[in-house]
Amino acid sequence: MTLTQTRTSSGSPQTRDTRVQHRRRPAIGGYVCAVILLIVFLFPLLYLLNTALKSNAEFIADPVGIVRDPQWGNFFDAWRQGDFGAYILNSVLYTGAGATIGTFISLVLAFPVSRGYIRGGKLWSVLFVLVLFLPNALITQFQLLLRLGLYDNRLGYILMVGVGVGVGPLLFSGFVSSIPRELDEAAAIDGVGYWRYLFAFVLPLAKPALATIFILQAVWIWNEIILATVLLADPAKFPVTVGLYAFKGTYSNQWPLLAAATFIVAAPLIVGYVFIQRYLVSGVLGAVKG
Amino acid sequence: MSTSFPFPRRGPVRLSFTVGLLVLTVFGLVPAVAVLVVSFTNLRGLPYLPVDWVGIENYLTFFSPAKWADSANAVGNTLVFAVVSTVVQIVLALGTAILLNRPLRGRNFVRAVVFMPTVLGVTVTGLIWSLMFNVGGGPAASVLGWFGGESAFFGDPHLALALVIVVQIWMVVGISVIIFLSGLQAIPTELYEAASIDGAGGWKAFRFVTVPMLAPSITANVLLGIVNALQSYQLIYVLTGPSNKATQVLSLLVYVQGFGGQSGTTLSQSQGYAAAVSMVQFALVAVISLLSLWFLRRREARL
Repeated sequence: MTLTQTRTSSGSPQTRDTRVQHRRRPAIGGYVCAVILLIVFLFPLLYLLNTALKSNAEFIADPVGIVRDPQWGNFFDAWRQGDFGAYILNSVLYTGAGATIGTFISLVLAFPVSRGYIRGGKLWSVLFVLVLFLPNALITQFQLLLRLGLYDNRLGYILMVGVGVGVGPLLFSGFVSSIPRELDEAAAIDGVGYWRYLFAFVLPLAKPALATIFILQAVWIWNEIILATVLLADPAKFPVTVGLYAFKGTYSNQWPLLAAATFIVAAPLIVGYVFIQRYLVSGVLGAVKG
Repeated sequence: MSTSFPFPRRGPVRLSFTVGLLVLTVFGLVPAVAVLVVSFTNLRGLPYLPVDWVGIENYLTFFSPAKWADSANAVGNTLVFAVVSTVVQIVLALGTAILLNRPLRGRNFVRAVVFMPTVLGVTVTGLIWSLMFNVGGGPAASVLGWFGGESAFFGDPHLALALVIVVQIWMVVGISVIIFLSGLQAIPTELYEAASIDGAGGWKAFRFVTVPMLAPSITANVLLGIVNALQSYQLIYVLTGPSNKATQVLSLLVYVQGFGGQSGTTLSQSQGYAAAVSMVQFALVAVISLLSLWFLRRREARL
């Protein structure tokens, strides 16, 4: 799955060239390095799983040994005691709504600016770059929500993370030029209004770009912890990051349970990663070009 | 309005543009600009307390002898964290990218694995590495034990920052690898052929073909790395907590000053002061990124 996806995203023509160039080199050293890399990146996860399956007694007796008597119940205990079902639901809501708002903002701002349909032209493009270099506004974000009555409020937090558009508008303005301007004109002649054009014509055409923008922001929101700590006070509203951090505070001396909880949070990310990897890669590369 | 506008009415364009801009402005730009304004006040975390203008007093406090130990510590940690993690990350990423650009079996799998921590996020990453560096006999403690050593790891003030940097690199190195790989794949093979005809292979080809051709990727990676590292603090928050002096960076100082890391010191928790710290950090980020941009562009031009 991963193999085919990554190959399509990295431009295969060049790949073939480099293949020819290095063919004569013996590759044993290369394989040794690759194995070291795999160990560095996979061992921590395997050790986490190993710990998650141990009983407390077994972990204390032998923290690094391979598990002898797997305790699958640890996952159940962690799920129940940590209330992760509720936290994950919160995170799904914040991530889905926040990234939708951010992608919508990127779409409605970047399309007309890139086409020159809005007065101001280049000035707005400067704004798209500027949003990447804003100062740390923790204090004023908190104060703003406090004054709007949106402190400790789900909507308040969603709006705050929703406007964290990052490279979104910049990425999308880069993409708009690949939609022919003649399409705008043809649609307009056929009597299609601007909104219908934007959402029924541009949106489907721009699906890959919008998916990239959505996923970049979704990954950021899913993993955000400080803003959630500052802007939300009621544990029932915590996203899974804050929930897991709080769980660590409570069960810091029970590593198997804590590892099981961490694994519960990590597993969907790792599974999801297989599917969103190519969007992340194109997002990173698009951001660099922009 | 130089370009023609094909649609019958301009209203809808203006309306949706304004809505998007309004949301972005109110919740994104207003707080960002307000930080500067608030940094000249004695605003506190509790609502309904009177707010007064105090001029540049917060900035003077930041550099005053009473606070300077804390301030200098945070500035120093921020710089060490940003510079060391960026440099090491780029060296490791370049090596990894060159390795993965070779025709190895399963290299796409390796690349996917190296890039994976990007989605794990700071909380999961932080907990995994707290477990790895568990003092009560984790893998790191065991390895150290074979050599008869022991360490408090994140609890050791001399080691904590270094370990946080290691974890930071583990978490973000995949991004640099991706950027370098795309740069490497854009280098025409003919250049290497020409170099080998001229008798330049191995190190020389790397030094005189790969590095100059990768200059734009290096610039992108340095800028991205240093701007991110100067502002990142979520990982440190999870690994060592907000108030640990050994790892306290400027962003964490903002958090502690504004929202309290220690209890019972409500009077010292001025959000106005925290906003001033934010602005100091912002100035630092701006100066350093402009300097490195200027330096790297000059290098690119020379190469």
